[in-house]
Amino acid sequence: MLSGGLELLIDGLARGMILSLLGLGITLVFGLGEILNLLLGVFAVVAVITSSILLRTVPELAIAGLGGIALVALFALLLDKTVISLVYREKGEDRVLLGIFVTLGLSLLFEGLLFVFYAESYFLDTDVPSVTLWAVNITGSSLAVILTSVVLFGLIYYFFNNTFLGVASRTVIQDETGAVLCGISPRRMQSIVFVLSAAIAGAGGVLYALDAEVTPASSFELTTFAIMVSIVGGVDSIRGTVAAGIVLGIIITVAGALFGSYLATVTLFAAAIGVLIYKPEQIS
Amino acid sequence: MNRDRITIGVVFAALFLVPVLFFDPATTYLSRRFIRVLTFAIFAMALNIIFGETDQLILFMGGLAALGAYSTALTADYLGISPWFTLLFGALVAGVVGAGTCYVAARRQFTVIVLAIVTFAFQMIISEVLVGLRDITRGSTGFPFSGLELPALENLTGFGSYAIQFYVLVLVFGAVLGLYEWLKASRYGLAFSFIRQDEFSARATGVDVVKLKVFAGFISTFIIGFVGPFYAQNTGIIIPSLFSFNTVDVLVLIVLVLGGLRSRFGPLIGAAVIIYLDNLLGEFGQWRTVAFGLLLTVLFIYFRDGIVPSAKALAEDRRIPGRIGALLRGEKSE
Repeated sequence: MLSGGLELLIDGLARGMILSLLGLGITLVFGLGEILNLLLGVFAVVAVITSSILLRTVPELAIAGLGGIALVALFALLLDKTVISLVYREKGEDRVLLGIFVTLGLSLLFEGLLFVFYAESYFLDTDVPSVTLWAVNITGSSLAVILTSVVLFGLIYYFFNNTFLGVASRTVIQDETGAVLCGISPRRMQSIVFVLSAAIAGAGGVLYALDAEVTPASSFELTTFAIMVSIVGGVDSIRGTVAAGIVLGIIITVAGALFGSYLATVTLFAAAIGVLIYKPEQIS
Repeated sequence: MNRDRITIGVVFAALFLVPVLFFDPATTYLSRRFIRVLTFAIFAMALNIIFGETDQLILFMGGLAALGAYSTALTADYLGISPWFTLLFGALVAGVVGAGTCYVAARRQFTVIVLAIVTFAFQMIISEVLVGLRDITRGSTGFPFSGLELPALENLTGFGSYAIQFYVLVLVFGAVLGLYEWLKASRYGLAFSFIRQDEFSARATGVDVVKLKVFAGFISTFIIGFVGPFYAQNTGIIIPSLFSFNTVDVLVLIVLVLGGLRSRFGPLIGAAVIIYLDNLLGEFGQWRTVAFGLLLTVLFIYFRDGIVPSAKALAEDRRIPGRIGALLRGEKSE
């Protein structure tokens, strides 16, 4: 009984870390440029599909995953320099609204293209073995997800605290005018963070595919989950998003096992609604 | 004013002629498409009132239509009566949910994006619950629905059931249009534009912003809930996927933006174009999603004021109506 509960908790932690990564993808872009990036799920799914295709030629999942993530970053850069820069031209509420609709349109466009050319479902098989610790069985995929996520969170933490680019982008989040006065170009930071968020979402997608089948339709679901996590975490707080993802992942997994999966999903959305009603000013 | 009346007369005459000219009892396909145009035009008009007039962007139109359709059908089934009697109840359920949401949003001073996300989350919850509460809603397989027919009127007039359905929706369309015109001309319309332009000073001068936003929200969501059962009737089945974000909300947004915010016949023109496109692209499978995605992106980047108003402005810019008039009078154009 106790070991069953612990197993559930560890699975929840793994799921939560994936949610944190996806949520970060939303938080970073919204915090920096006020664009609610509804394309995020597409980035995750594209990373999974390219990794799965690369796996046919490269021997290691880690290499294929990195290749997939790199390709998604390139894809994001291309979008940022073209369509997304048109959105950044607007200011204030106009930009927020335009951001929603343009990324919604783009997500439909790419989801449709994925359906046309890559309609099957993708699953990435990890060769990490299951481990049993004090009668608690940890699946290989959960272990891989937790370990990789910890490394990724460390890298993200290092980037935002110890590198010039990271600190500069945090400055833009806190005070755009102040950042400009310090010689930082907000648009350049927005580009870097957009690409970074796509790469993080790609990593989240690859980890997600270790335990679940991914189809083009998953992109919509992953985007909505990411938005809800980001909102519960406070939208422009990196730490908040990571914490919210982990807590919600555990709640969803435990609630799913106890009450069925649909109530677990409802819990996630209800949590986001509750947070927004309690603190609507976090998105302004 | 006179020109307006002529336009309204021509539009309704054309709508009246549609079943006579195009509805073929042997094939229901075309009739159902025309009914779909009207349904989406009414959805877009409802969104026009709440979003166009009071800047409240709601993204749970599919969910509201589902609330209307499920409440109407399930209560009628439970009570053993015709859905005609429960139609208003279904609309009221949607209206109360919509008004409640708008009340919280106005009291907590939600920005456009917060309301959009909250209503989007509600849409997801409604979709999940409709599938999950299998015992009541019959889950993802849904149930057949065809109670909104008027056999007596069919016998009396000799029209088929789809033609009658179409005329009922023309009536609803007319009523919503009348309501919208009245709203715009009344002090409500004035207050709406005041709120839209500067909510802060509207509050400061004593305009009851919360009340007005809830009022607009109730009207719009009531209309969506009212049309929901007709939307389901046209498909013959009530099923959660019929009311999803992608099937309803995305299309309604495209229809409204294509037709132009706050325009009188924009929603009808937008719906006609979009349903025609939908029909055209239907056989290309997922290319349809690609096309709509592209359309949404291009529309919002380049034609946020709507294709119809943009074309009108362009025509007026180039003084096209004047030139046509001059040509008709036999004068030489400049």
